[in-house]
Amino acid sequence: MIFTPRITAAVGLIILAAVLLQLAFFSQVPLLGSVANFVPVVVVALGLLGGALPGVVCGFIAGLLIDSALGTTIGVTSLSLMAAGYLAGRWRESYDIVSSLVPPLLTGALTGVAAATYAAIQLMLGVDAPVSLLVLREIVVQAFLGTLLAVPTFPLIRRVLRSALVDDARPSRRRPSRGMLGVTA
Amino acid sequence: MYRKQVRRRRATLVLLVVACLVMISTSFSEGDDGPLHSAQNGVGSILTPLQEGADRALKPFRDLVNWFDETFDARGENEQLKEENQELRDELTKAQERYEEGLERKKITDVTAAEELASLERIDATVIGRSASAWTQTLQVDKGRRDGVSVDDAVVTGDGLVGRVASVTGGSSRVALLTDQETAVTARVLKRGPLGVVGAEVGDPDDLILELIEGGEEVDPGSELVTSGFANEEGLRSRYPAGIPIGEIRESDPGEQALQQRVHVKPFADLDRIVHVAVLGRGSGDSG
Repeated sequence: MIFTPRITAAVGLIILAAVLLQLAFFSQVPLLGSVANFVPVVVVALGLLGGALPGVVCGFIAGLLIDSALGTTIGVTSLSLMAAGYLAGRWRESYDIVSSLVPPLLTGALTGVAAATYAAIQLMLGVDAPVSLLVLREIVVQAFLGTLLAVPTFPLIRRVLRSALVDDARPSRRRPSRGMLGVTA
Repeated sequence: MYRKQVRRRRATLVLLVVACLVMISTSFSEGDDGPLHSAQNGVGSILTPLQEGADRALKPFRDLVNWFDETFDARGENEQLKEENQELRDELTKAQERYEEGLERKKITDVTAAEELASLERIDATVIGRSASAWTQTLQVDKGRRDGVSVDDAVVTGDGLVGRVASVTGGSSRVALLTDQETAVTARVLKRGPLGVVGAEVGDPDDLILELIEGGEEVDPGSELVTSGFANEEGLRSRYPAGIPIGEIRESDPGEQALQQRVHVKPFADLDRIVHVAVLGRGSGDSG
């Protein structure tokens, strides 16, 4: 991904929109006994499109915004989202996306990784109450919902950032030259 | 060039991870008015109006999704409530059945508590089948020889006599009702009334015929009829113990009574709706 000021602003807006959507919509719509976590979906998409470094930075910023908005321990969400963004970027740098199923499935898996990382950090920081095994169900449900959300989200973000993507350069509209045979006099 | 990129990527990753760890550590160590918390509150206060705006803008969508969710939930809940309702109805029906059975058993106890019947063994039974023809008025009950039931034992409900055991197998018995054509019961009209034999009138389950043996006395309508427990010196004795209520005399036609020596009797027991009965086993008892 080529970061121009315009693309950087677009990425920033995407992250801000994702955070606001998460706080104002997805967190308030219970689904399958949990809620969808939209932010890792966006971070993974940015990691898949931009690479490991943009993935990590976007995860860090998104996590800071969420922790700030919610007033939770700052840095915890960042760490979990950085894990997802970094792994997505590393995937993009190591493998080709050969099927349209790869982004949703990878997003689902990495959303699960982010949720698991968040849970692990919380456990390491100490939890004052008994922990139910239902947290495992929440991780699985969030991974599943992440897979579903990635189906429209990934193409949408790719479309928004298309001009900055090296792989997705817009095809030229110029007609191919016919060479000498095309010259009619 | 590539190595430089990798180094830069790793450095950024390490830097950000360390930053996160420092922030986590600092947020635990510093007070609520520390610089990190102040910065966090500052960012939060910037985000708050945006969040409020987004919340307001997205409320219709949220409500829409919640509406679908609640509709599905309500449908699921409706199904669940229907099932619960069905279970409760079944339980209520069973409770009502138990209550009615208890009432019926209590009435039977009242009937069998009579002094003449005290020596008999009471075997509670439930009707499990019934003949469908007016010509054979019989019931099938769920107690048989193994339970102590014998042929010719009297069968009663809480209202009085309903018949006798006509045949018995190991686990069930066939009861011939008072309205069966083969049934005949020696009876007496209460208050020192005349003796007679009660038999059926085929086709009319609500009517029994009392053939008077001692024809000289007039029988008043409404008089009650009980089993007589007849026995004579030659050893001939009634199959039924004495003192079981049978029915009451209907309004009798004096002419019919005088000429044919018979009156009509309405059985106490509702012979069409018998569910619980008691077989009065004679076992070691005396039939009277």
